[in-house]
Amino acid sequence: MVETSSSIDSRFRSLITETHEGETLNLCYQCSTCSGCCPVFRYNSQFNPRRIIENTLLGKRDRTVKSPEIWLCTVCHTCTEKCPQGVKVSEIIIELKNLSSKEGLFPAHLQEEAKALLEFGMVSPPTKAILSRREKLKLPVIENAPPEEIRTLTSATGFDKLVEGRKSEEETQETGVVEE
Amino acid sequence: MSCEYALFLGCTIPNRLPHLEVSTRMILKNLDVNVRDLPGFACCPDPVGFSALDRFTWIVLASRNLAVAEEAGLDVLTLCSGCFETLKTADYVLRNENGLKEKVNEALAKVGKEYKGTVEVRHLLQVLYEDVRPEKIESTVEKPLKGIKVAVHYGCHVLRPSEVLQVDDPFNPTSFESIVKATGATPVDYLKKFLCCGVGVRSVDEDTTNRMIEEKLRYVRMSGADLLCVICPFCLIQYDIGQFQINKALGTDYHIPVLYYPHLLALAQGVSADELHFKFQRIKPDAVLEKIEKL
Repeated sequence: MVETSSSIDSRFRSLITETHEGETLNLCYQCSTCSGCCPVFRYNSQFNPRRIIENTLLGKRDRTVKSPEIWLCTVCHTCTEKCPQGVKVSEIIIELKNLSSKEGLFPAHLQEEAKALLEFGMVSPPTKAILSRREKLKLPVIENAPPEEIRTLTSATGFDKLVEGRKSEEETQETGVVEE
Repeated sequence: MSCEYALFLGCTIPNRLPHLEVSTRMILKNLDVNVRDLPGFACCPDPVGFSALDRFTWIVLASRNLAVAEEAGLDVLTLCSGCFETLKTADYVLRNENGLKEKVNEALAKVGKEYKGTVEVRHLLQVLYEDVRPEKIESTVEKPLKGIKVAVHYGCHVLRPSEVLQVDDPFNPTSFESIVKATGATPVDYLKKFLCCGVGVRSVDEDTTNRMIEEKLRYVRMSGADLLCVICPFCLIQYDIGQFQINKALGTDYHIPVLYYPHLLALAQGVSADELHFKFQRIKPDAVLEKIEKL
């Protein structure tokens, strides 16, 4: 794919460098230590942290924020720990995912998990079967936070709207998500 | 030693693997560690998915949990490495990112809460290694697990990023091996000891997650270990249920028991296998239990 100047978003790079962890982006000298130590890259070369950082440095928003590959990060932080330049690679990928989420481009399973959080106050609420197992195991009854309290907070941060805003597979294809 | 912690159970242990809570409460009691179940905790929430959706909301919800512990004046003890990373990171960034605390407290005020930064977040591994100490653990052992070979799996969210979590050396940690040795068992080294369990990509790339599990188990088997010992419920799910799944998906024939550390210590403290409810795990540890029985 030939890059054209129209695929470069000059504001995008500063969106990352202005975040607390993202300011380390500019220190990258592309040595590829991050990809070399990445446990996902070993098996799936689509997920290449060095290339994600390079594309971010070059302002290629479409190739990062709109690319499904950023969601392959396990957030093991090995890259951040090993980077000789102190680039917070995994944290930068988190910032990229935040931008991606704002555009509704997050995976379906996360929408399900977030909906559970909004409804029950937790991602894995206790089921009837688990409550009876807990009783048999003589474990105490746990009094969790009222879900309304969680919903008050998520509505204050706009998280509830973000969760609803997920685009379906068809919609993301229309917006031209880059798949390599 | 007299100390008390707010027990932060999270979702996975109490609502998916409650038998891990059983062994944890047992060993803590035997070690004179007091824990209190506070009302009002919620999801941590998960450091992989929720930080990705919206980092600020993730921090706000985590600090709400910290505020609950602060009201009780208790440090937090987490049993899951995911919960640990979330709560510890929230505490760290609230102390270090300019203006963040004010923004977070503005949100928390809507539910009558405030983050002050007065409590510490501790992982079970840290409490056992730093607060209880291996010597004290050893003194509670009634049946030393002599000759039992244990491959330890630290997992990611207890070690990295070390600047934030500050539990152990991120590349050459020794705390887990120390508390395993305290049971009388022998930690064994193996290749890929620090390979991530892969749970973070389970829902987006099944093949990668399977291959990550397989590689780890391959080297654990080569080491001759009797079992794989973990300190995070997600790692346990990956290697226990995941082991069953990869045997099907990749045609392998692994049968390596996966034990949460409190299960191992409870066995050494003389608790019977029946009381530890291994029936709730996919890979039954019968062979190693038989070995322990004969000690």
